[in-house]
Amino acid sequence: MAFLEIKNLCARVENKEILKDFSLTINEGEVHAIMGPNGSGKSTLSNVIAGHPAYEITAGSITFKGKDLLAMRADERANSGVFLAFQYPTELPGVGTALFFKTAINAKRKFLGLPDLDAVQFMKRLKMRATALGITDEMLKRPVNVGFSGGEKKKMETFQMAFLEPDFCILDEMDSGLDIDALKVVSNGVNIMREPHRSFLLITHYQRLLDYIVPDFIHIMVNGKIVESGDKTLALHLEEKGYENYK
Amino acid sequence: MKIINNISLMGYDGVLTEGHLSDEMTQIVVPENSSFSGNILHVSGDIHLKVILDGENSNFDIRIIYLSNKNSKNSIKVEVLHKHKNTTSSYIIRGILADSSEMVLDGIIRIPKDSQKCDGYLNHRAVLLSDNAKVKATPELEIYADDVKCSHGSAVGALDENLLFYLMSRGIDAEEGKRLLLKSFLSDSLADSFEMYIDEWMDKNV
Ligand SMILES: Nc1ncnc2c1ncn2[C@@H]1O[C@H](COP(=O)(O)OP(=O)(O)O)[C@@H](O)[C@H]1O
Ligand SMILES: [Mg+2]
Repeated sequence: MAFLEIKNLCARVENKEILKDFSLTINEGEVHAIMGPNGSGKSTLSNVIAGHPAYEITAGSITFKGKDLLAMRADERANSGVFLAFQYPTELPGVGTALFFKTAINAKRKFLGLPDLDAVQFMKRLKMRATALGITDEMLKRPVNVGFSGGEKKKMETFQMAFLEPDFCILDEMDSGLDIDALKVVSNGVNIMREPHRSFLLITHYQRLLDYIVPDFIHIMVNGKIVESGDKTLALHLEEKGYENYK
Repeated sequence: MKIINNISLMGYDGVLTEGHLSDEMTQIVVPENSSFSGNILHVSGDIHLKVILDGENSNFDIRIIYLSNKNSKNSIKVEVLHKHKNTTSSYIIRGILADSSEMVLDGIIRIPKDSQKCDGYLNHRAVLLSDNAKVKATPELEIYADDVKCSHGSAVGALDENLLFYLMSRGIDAEEGKRLLLKSFLSDSLADSFEMYIDEWMDKNV
């Protein structure tokens, strides 16, 4: 049984066909990268996997660990182990970061039939990975993402991922807006999470990210579907030739 | 019967008074060199509040939260008269409407000819939790002085689908997510003393 299987998926938003007969299979423990020019539908794909209600699925299927993902609400998908680190994370004024994390972890625990974390367990878990990702106490005290720089927001997304320990992580343009130091910190945060039971889908425009997080497979996506797949050397060809050849 | 709950008004003397606004107009007069600050939580009834900035360097800020549900039809009218120069006013109004409730909101900032260098601010935003809820908001300016700063605005709409998706993508269910977003929405106008009441209201209406 494949871990994640996307078959002949077609999706549209506001009556515009974005994903066109898209198929992709990811096995347990694998790291896949999707590269493609702007507007090719990469963020649409992440939103569709995570369950954004604005996208209409017109054909195809997604199964995750044998279950029909498209039949689940976004929160059910998350609690089943799907995580999306957003290209543009949202700011939530008035919602404390700690409260947000607590609500999320306890929702997942409830879904799994576990009791809420108490205050001590919660703080311990929160602090555990915060330092590695350069998340300061001061950042945890602020409302979610409010007043954060682009780089800080991306660190916070990675931190949420480390905290929630999902099985399938989609990272949408995680490298955009990051300087080289932040990119190293965030990539390291991802690399320490690589485990045999956890899979990743890295979405990026540039090859740079893949120097730090080395994928098992690379796919090139143009105009709503994958046009070529290969191993990590595909990124180097792309670096030379650009996306032009695929149009 | 019309009840307006949990009004706390912080007067220019710094004393917190809790009370009820009457159906008729409630008038607050702020003398020179004084400030008035207040929070109002409105759950039903028609209120009419008028503030008069009655001396130079007087100012006030009032934050109003209104919560409507069922098929209630309520109204809020707020006014300010900048009677003297160098006065500032601020009304921040935030509403949440459930079911088929309706709200009529009127706000007027008046600045007469000789009241130069005044600053008037009126901002209204409301969230509709149902397609049947309605708000009719009419912010007005009556400004005769030429050297003033004044802004008013009103925005009414459903909860942002993208914000809710962000929370749900973290495993938080729609109901809990909406509550967090509404708290976020109210955060710039919320007084601590209202929090419990608002939590209870959300338990029943969100
Ligand atoms: N919510 C939306 N509403 C309208 N158009 C959208 C929406 N999301 C994506 N699109 C359109 O779909 C196409 C693909 O966008 P996107 O998935 O963001 O591409 P990428 O992430 O590869 O840059 C673009 O033409 C974009 O304008
Ligand atoms: Mg994108």
